[in-house]
Amino acid sequence: MQMVLRRVLAAIPMLFLISLVSFTLMRALPGDPVDVMLGSAQKELPTEDLKVLREEFGLNQSPARQYLFWLSGWVKADNLASANALGRSYRDGRPVKEVIVERIPATLTLVGIALVLSFALGLSVGILAAFLSLQGNKRADSALTAVLLAIYSAPNFWLAFLALAALASQAGLALVKLPILGLHPPGAQPTFGAEIEYLFLPAIILSTRRMAKVALYVRTLALDEIGKEYVVAALAKGLSLMSVITNHVLKNCLIPVVNLAGLSLPALIGGSVLIETIFCVPGMGRLMVESTFGRNYPVLMGLVMLYGTIVILANLLADVLNKVIDPRLEN
Amino acid sequence: MAVLLTTALTPIILQLVGIVIEPPISSLHEVNLPPSWQSEHFLGTDALGHDLVKMIVFGAMGSLSVGLCSAFVAVVLGNIWGSTAALAGGFVDSVMMRLVDALLAVPSIILLLTLSSILSAPELIEKFPTILLSSLGVTAYTDGLMPYFIVIVAITATTWLESARVARARVLAIKEEDFFVAARALGSSFNQLLGKHLLPALATTAVVEATLLVSDAIIMESGLSFLGLGLGPSTPSWGSMLKDAQACLIAGNWWAAVIPGLLICFTVIAVHLLGEGFLASKRARGKIPA
Repeated sequence: MQMVLRRVLAAIPMLFLISLVSFTLMRALPGDPVDVMLGSAQKELPTEDLKVLREEFGLNQSPARQYLFWLSGWVKADNLASANALGRSYRDGRPVKEVIVERIPATLTLVGIALVLSFALGLSVGILAAFLSLQGNKRADSALTAVLLAIYSAPNFWLAFLALAALASQAGLALVKLPILGLHPPGAQPTFGAEIEYLFLPAIILSTRRMAKVALYVRTLALDEIGKEYVVAALAKGLSLMSVITNHVLKNCLIPVVNLAGLSLPALIGGSVLIETIFCVPGMGRLMVESTFGRNYPVLMGLVMLYGTIVILANLLADVLNKVIDPRLEN
Repeated sequence: MAVLLTTALTPIILQLVGIVIEPPISSLHEVNLPPSWQSEHFLGTDALGHDLVKMIVFGAMGSLSVGLCSAFVAVVLGNIWGSTAALAGGFVDSVMMRLVDALLAVPSIILLLTLSSILSAPELIEKFPTILLSSLGVTAYTDGLMPYFIVIVAITATTWLESARVARARVLAIKEEDFFVAARALGSSFNQLLGKHLLPALATTAVVEATLLVSDAIIMESGLSFLGLGLGPSTPSWGSMLKDAQACLIAGNWWAAVIPGLLICFTVIAVHLLGEGFLASKRARGKIPA
């Protein structure tokens, strides 16, 4: 419990630093949000109105005050108050919080499926590779390792649009009955079941690089473990190699694997940016790309903050899980 | 081994060849030609009739120069930051490293997109010092090397973090090692310690780190170019080739999409193996602990 508390306390200055960096970056740009929002229309407005607008957005205060005001926007429940503090999207004038929050579920579902897929597949392929290597099947082992290395080096977005083109072709359509673009059937209400079906292919592509990494990692881990005495004892007891691996070795590999899962999340969330763009999934990643092109700085600022928060929370969760798996970890 | 060496060297040779051969020109009567040994374009052509061999050679210049430059700058910056933190210790160390940790929590592509969006803002470019603009060859008519500068700065700003962390850990370990303690006990000055003992020991990890960062940077650049935020249309790179190829997949032209992607794959594997080989050779000679 103490450890959890200490980790939570350590996460707070990190979040604070992320917010400070993203705030400074965006405000370092020439021109303030009101300038950008109004553009040339500014000339036609009376100065009093502009002053009122700047006051509403807190722009007449010192930078430190403005920063605190912006931070407070995250905790304000009232939509109007938080819109003033966090700013409004330059594109359609809607509050940043509203614009971002509606994009969260799609990304979380996509990343969630990809995380499960990459670890389920990665663990089994890794164990298989270790098994092959132990049986002295050098050729099969090195072939598998080479394939995994190749998968790991392939850019995700490249595999994505190749898969998209393959499945959209005549032969692909006849072979696989899977929806490939968007999040729900056109015109229909979005449902969770449809969402999962639509996100399946993007999730597979998103998980490939992670899967290869997990498999290579698990292979090394398992081969390290197998030299240990408890494995010799288990084998001497007459257990088969496969059951020693699945029952004993795998359990001991779990801690570093859970750690890797925590570390994988930033990579998967990062990868989802390009995947969402290619598969037209209306998630945070696509919002990120849209905002980058539109120079929609209030939304970008919010997204950087949110991405950082998700990753820090995930790492926290991985730490706590590790503690549950291995109670010996005190510090 | 020979295969590895060839894959590693091919892109470099391609880059050298690129200086000699003429740039690809589009010829609209030769669009989407499939690869064949008999024809003049033996890897085929893309949707604008560019010869793919030439495109790849010129794309290599974009992709590799961005990869090499940004990895170099990131490793130098990261090592300076990390070793300063480790040598200073105490409060300075924790502040410097907390900043690195915080930035590492933001997925790199998010940081990358944000930075490239900010850096390429016209109102910011106007405020750049004239010396920078003129040395990059920016005039009223051309962007010069500006796209390179923006992409390299954006990639470096996201990749130096990992190398700072590695450098800090390495310096902390070196500080405890016998040879370093002995040198200190014998009364070496700070400069001697730094120049003769610390930097040479740090160099090995820095080289391995650099190879990892080169492949990361190549993948990052291809992602940026794919989105249209990379080097721009005037400077081909493998990423922007993929972007163009996606559009002509509909015309059944799969080779324009497959070839640059495979090349990125091979380059990344080659650079990775180069780093592993370097590490193994240093280990074999006992330069660094296994």
